[in-house]
Amino acid sequence: MTTTTTRARAAVRPVSPPRGLLLALLRLHRTALWFWLGLVAVAAAALLWALGPGADAAWAEYRGMGCDGGAPDLGCDLPGPAFFRYETTVTVVIGILFLLPTLTAAWAGGSLIGRELESGTAQFAWTQSVTPARWLAAKLAVPALLLVPGTLAITLLHRTLWTSDHHLMRVLAWRAWYDDGVFEANGVLATAHALAALALGVLSGVLLRRALPALGVAVAAMASLTSVLDDLRPHLWPTPPGTPSLMHKHPASHFWPLQLVETGIVMAVAALATATAFLVLRRRTGAAV
Amino acid sequence: MTDTAIEAAGLGRRFRRRRGPALDGCAFRLPAGSVCALTGPNGAGKSTLLALAAGLLRPTEGTITVLGTTPAAARERLAHVAQNKPLHPQLTVAGTLRLGRDLNPRRWDARAAERIVAEGDLDPDTKIRALSGGQRTRVALALALGKRPELLLLDEPMADLDPLARHQLTATLMADAADRGTTVVMSSHVVAELEGSCDHLLLLGSGRVRLAGPLDDLLAAHTLVTGRAGDALDPHTVVESRTTGRQLTAMVRPAGPLGDVLQGDRPSLEEVVLAHLRSPDAPPLLLDAREAAV
Amino acid sequence: MVEYRIDRRSGVATYVQIVQQTKQALRLGLLEPGDRLPTAREVVEATAINPNTVLKAYRELEREGLVEARRGLGTFVRKSLSTAPADSPLRAELDAWAVRAREAGLEREDVAALFTSVLDAHFAESKGDA
Repeated sequence: MTTTTTRARAAVRPVSPPRGLLLALLRLHRTALWFWLGLVAVAAAALLWALGPGADAAWAEYRGMGCDGGAPDLGCDLPGPAFFRYETTVTVVIGILFLLPTLTAAWAGGSLIGRELESGTAQFAWTQSVTPARWLAAKLAVPALLLVPGTLAITLLHRTLWTSDHHLMRVLAWRAWYDDGVFEANGVLATAHALAALALGVLSGVLLRRALPALGVAVAAMASLTSVLDDLRPHLWPTPPGTPSLMHKHPASHFWPLQLVETGIVMAVAALATATAFLVLRRRTGAAV
Repeated sequence: MTDTAIEAAGLGRRFRRRRGPALDGCAFRLPAGSVCALTGPNGAGKSTLLALAAGLLRPTEGTITVLGTTPAAARERLAHVAQNKPLHPQLTVAGTLRLGRDLNPRRWDARAAERIVAEGDLDPDTKIRALSGGQRTRVALALALGKRPELLLLDEPMADLDPLARHQLTATLMADAADRGTTVVMSSHVVAELEGSCDHLLLLGSGRVRLAGPLDDLLAAHTLVTGRAGDALDPHTVVESRTTGRQLTAMVRPAGPLGDVLQGDRPSLEEVVLAHLRSPDAPPLLLDAREAAV
Repeated sequence: MVEYRIDRRSGVATYVQIVQQTKQALRLGLLEPGDRLPTAREVVEATAINPNTVLKAYRELEREGLVEARRGLGTFVRKSLSTAPADSPLRAELDAWAVRAREAGLEREDVAALFTSVLDAHFAESKGDA
C-alpha cells in the first residue's frame, strides 16, 4: 500500500500493562468485589461488637444470674438472651469462615474462569495485548490479594476474641480450641483454605471451560479436600504416648504444630492446582509467557 | 517489518473430540497489505485457522508464522474478532472501550474506536447485554480497530449486520487498510459478501487448502467452457464437468489455447468457488505457495 | 471530483469499472487536466471496495498517460479524452447505417448483436479481461 496517511497517533494515556489488566479485572468482577468487602465488613463488625458490648452484656447477665459464685448451679447451663446474642454473633462469623472456601471455589470455577472460557471473553482478552499466562496470573493474583488480608483480619479478630473471652467461650459456649471451625478460625488455616479453594476453582474452570460444570466440580473438590483434612487432622502431629490419635487427646500446645502442618498441606494442594492450570493453558494455546 | 502477513507450512490441528483433523497439511502465504477472503463450507476449518493465527490455539502439526514471528509474539500487533463476538455482557459500551484501553495500553487509539461506535448511533451507557447482534459486532470491530493492529483476523464479521451497517463497516475496514496498510483476513461462507472488498482468496475444504492466491490470478486461471458432449477436455485440468443432453459444461484450468471446439467464458468468483466445493477431489491451486517456494 | 459507482453484478472487474468511469468523466468533461482524483481512502470509504483495487485502477490510468501520481499530493488528471464530436463524419455514417438496418427489418437487439460482433472483430477485448 502506498497511500499511507501519516496521522499523529491519538494520545494514548500511559497505563502500565499490569496496572491496566488489574484495573480491568477489578471492574469486570465488581459485584464479587463488593460482595467480599461487604462480607469482611459484616464479619469484622460482628466480632468487634462481640469483643466489646456483646461480651460485657453476656458477663453482666451471667453475674446477674449469680453464676460466677463457683457453686455448681444447673441454671447457669441455660444462658439468657444477652449470651444468646453473643453466641449467635460468634457462630455467624465462624459460619462465614466455614462457607468461605465453598463460595470461593464456586465463584472461581464458575464466574472467574469457566464463564469466560465458555463465552469466549477469555479468548477476547488473549487477543488483546495480554498473554494467556498473564491473564491467568492476574486472575489468581487479584482475588488472592483480596482474600488474604480480608480472611486474616477476620481470623485475627476471632483470635483476639478467643483469647480475651476464653472463659465465656469455653464455659458457656462449650467450644474447644480443636473444634472444626474454631481450629481454622484461630490460625492461618482459614486463609490457606480460601487460597486452595481459589486455585481449585481456577483449575476446574481451565479444565472444563464451562461455567456450571466448573462450579460444580470446584465445590465438590473443595468439599472432598476439607473432609479428608478433617479426618487427617489428629494424625498430623503425634499425640502424647499411649493416647489414641484424636483431637481432644492433643494438648493445647499442639495448636500451632497441627495448624502449620495442615496449612503446609493445603498450600501444597493450592500450588499444585495453580501449576497444573498454567500447564494446561500453556499446552492448549502454546503461548509464550 | 516483513512483507508476509501469514505463512503456514504443513499446518494441522486435531481436536480430541473430533474424528478427523480440523486442519490438515495447510500451506499458503498471505502478503502483507492484502485483504483476504477466507471461505469454505461450514466445518471446513476457517475458525480453527483464524484461532491458530491469533495464537488462541497451538497447531498439532506444522507451523504458522504471523507478521514474521510466532502468533504469541505478534499478539500486540494483531486483532481477532471471534464469530460469536464475545464481550462482557455486564459492561457498558463505554466500559468495553475502556477495557480495550486497559488491555492494550501501548497501542490504544480511543478516537478510532469511539468513532466506529458513534457511527452506529450507540449510546455509550448502554449495557452490552442490551445490544442487538449487529450492534455487538460494531463494538467488537471498534475494539479490534482501536488496537491499531497490523493484522486483523475477522471470523464471520458481517453475519449479523443489516446491509447499511455491512456497507459502513466494510468501508471502515477498507479505509483503515488504505490508511495504514492493515492486512485483513475475513471469513465467510457467503462468497458474494467478500467479493468486492478482497484481493486474495483462501478456500478451505475439509481442513485443506483448495485455492489460495490473488483473486484476479485465481479467476484468470479458470475458464468456464461449453462444448458438445464427448468433446475432449484433455490437456486442461478439469475442476468439474457436467453433461446436460448434448451440451458439455466444465470448469477447467486451461493448459493452453482452448481450440475451436470449446467455447471459453470468464467465470465469476462464485462460480469458481462453487465448482471446487462440488468437486472435493479436484486438485488444489496454490498460487502463493508456488511463489514462496521459488 | 468524480464519484464511482461499483456494480458488483455487472461481471466487469471492479478496477475496470473505475478505469471506465474515469474515462467517461474525462470524455464528458467532468474531469479536466489538473483535477485531483479522489484518494484511495475516499473511494474506499464511499464504496467499501478494496483499496488495492483503486490503486490498481489508478496505475492503469497512469500507464495510459491519463493521470499522474504526485507523491504526497494525490493523483491528478494529465489530459482529457477527446471524443468524436456529435457532428463528425463517422457518426453520420453510423447513423445512415442504422437507418438502413431498420429498413431491412432488424430489431434493436439484432442491431446490437451485429454491432458487438463487428466491434469484437476489430478491437481487442477490453483490458479488464487480463
